[in-house]
Amino acid sequence: MIWLTGIMLVIAAAAGLLVVLSRNPKRQIFALCANGLVLSLLFFALQAPDVALSEIVVGAVVVPLLFLVALAAVAVARVRK
Amino acid sequence: MRIRFRAAALAASAAALFPAAWAVIAAMPPFGEHVSPYGAAVNAVVPAARHVSNMVAAVNFDLRGLDTLGEESMLLCAVTGTVVLLRGARGEGTSGSAVRLPGRAIAQRSDATILVCRFAATLLFFFGVYVALHGLVTPGGGFQGGVIIASGLLLLYLGEGYAHWRSIVRGRILSFLEGAGALLFVLVGAIPLALGKAAFRNILPLGTLRDLYAGGTMVVVNAAVACAVAGGFTLILLEFMEETRAPETEREPGEGG
Repeated sequence: MIWLTGIMLVIAAAAGLLVVLSRNPKRQIFALCANGLVLSLLFFALQAPDVALSEIVVGAVVVPLLFLVALAAVAVARVRK
Repeated sequence: MRIRFRAAALAASAAALFPAAWAVIAAMPPFGEHVSPYGAAVNAVVPAARHVSNMVAAVNFDLRGLDTLGEESMLLCAVTGTVVLLRGARGEGTSGSAVRLPGRAIAQRSDATILVCRFAATLLFFFGVYVALHGLVTPGGGFQGGVIIASGLLLLYLGEGYAHWRSIVRGRILSFLEGAGALLFVLVGAIPLALGKAAFRNILPLGTLRDLYAGGTMVVVNAAVACAVAGGFTLILLEFMEETRAPETEREPGEGG
């Protein structure tokens, strides 16, 4: 069990690094999405399924969606100008 | 030059902080070892005292109900603030279609996408209801069920497109759910006060352990949180989606003022 948690931790760190290192905002959002997914799997591996359920919706769906909509609004405002 | 300075500052601060950090790391309990006396006490006492098997829900909704009421009102304030901020800049018009950037191809959804989204959204909605209903028996609860319901409604957007989704998901119902959930929570806390007992005293019959009805007032609080979270999250998603709506006129009703 401990090696599974170790692998998940490494993947979570790598996903977080991807979010920081990608320079294109749209790619960054999808990296954030992947990070939320990995984090929720990590919570599941650590026997916290209720936290994993919250994380998978909030971290991998709601927050990236709000960022995507903000990007779309910025693009629309730029075109209108 | 600046990067070299930054690296030097990082190395200096790391060297200064490392002994203190290492002392903390070395003193930590081994990985995976449960040392919380509060958790052990809850596990030992609550199943007999409150007839519920999900200790997290018992702590959130009963033992520390006042804290959860604070979180609930934070959610209410955050949703209200977001809605007021976004609607204030945009107006309250609801008709119309999503904005389209000139020069971008419009991809039609395939029938398979629409069908899969309808099925998956329905399943996800009922899974959310299931998670919320069984919040006091299995891991999950009102918050988790509520956000799953919200994401199911969002999946409907993926299949139906903006205009159709907008006609299915009604903002008024969502804001009613959010407000009613918060009000119900406050009532559960306040009614015992009116009866001359402590706030959040569990005044309902406790029910049977591992049954769908177990935990007395926790059932009500769980339902209230599920309603408030589902309504609040969907309302936030709806208001953000409205930001991508194409304006019909230059000045909309409600704008300016």
